[in-house]
Amino acid sequence: MRRPQKTCPFCETRIRFIDYKDDRMLGRFITDHGKILPSRLSGVCARHQRQLSTAIKRARYLAIIPYIRGMQA
Amino acid sequence: MTRQYEAVYVFDSTLEDAAINEKLGRFHSLLGTPGDLHVNHWGRRQLAYPIGRRESGYYVVARFGAETTTLPEYERAIKLDDGIIRHLITLFEHEVGAPPMTEEELAIAARRREAEEDDDEE
Repeated sequence: MRRPQKTCPFCETRIRFIDYKDDRMLGRFITDHGKILPSRLSGVCARHQRQLSTAIKRARYLAIIPYIRGMQA
Repeated sequence: MTRQYEAVYVFDSTLEDAAINEKLGRFHSLLGTPGDLHVNHWGRRQLAYPIGRRESGYYVVARFGAETTTLPEYERAIKLDDGIIRHLITLFEHEVGAPPMTEEELAIAARRREAEEDDDEE
């Protein structure tokens, strides 16, 4: 069974380099708990997924997006 | 050698605006005469998680061209400053005038993607 093919949202919008300061955009690629969404779910291509993971890690350090979310005791 | 950098500073939000501007001026003066300095103040915003007891920070994004030799001194000054909660200096060479991806590049990416799909097909 072939999965329906997803196209990379970054390639679609012709984004060459991913900005780590854009919290709205990065927010679409993290789970409810703040983990990086796997490309198998988001359809991001390998090249952009690598950039995305770096961008998310930078944004986390700068407290633009959280490391963990929704896990308050 | 001159390279393009982008620096993000997160200042303590209790600092006065004048104090922040003074600090920025001091840091940037350490870079010698930075070519094409662009400073963008985001202003105070909520931190995504508390850092120490702080809940908000004053964000400033600066873009500049600097000699590689001036950078260690500059970064040392930032590290020693108590008013800065977080900072990040990154190379900003990719984004400079990067045109959107061309049709050709997209086609290559699509082809690669297809090859990948075929690989993990059961």
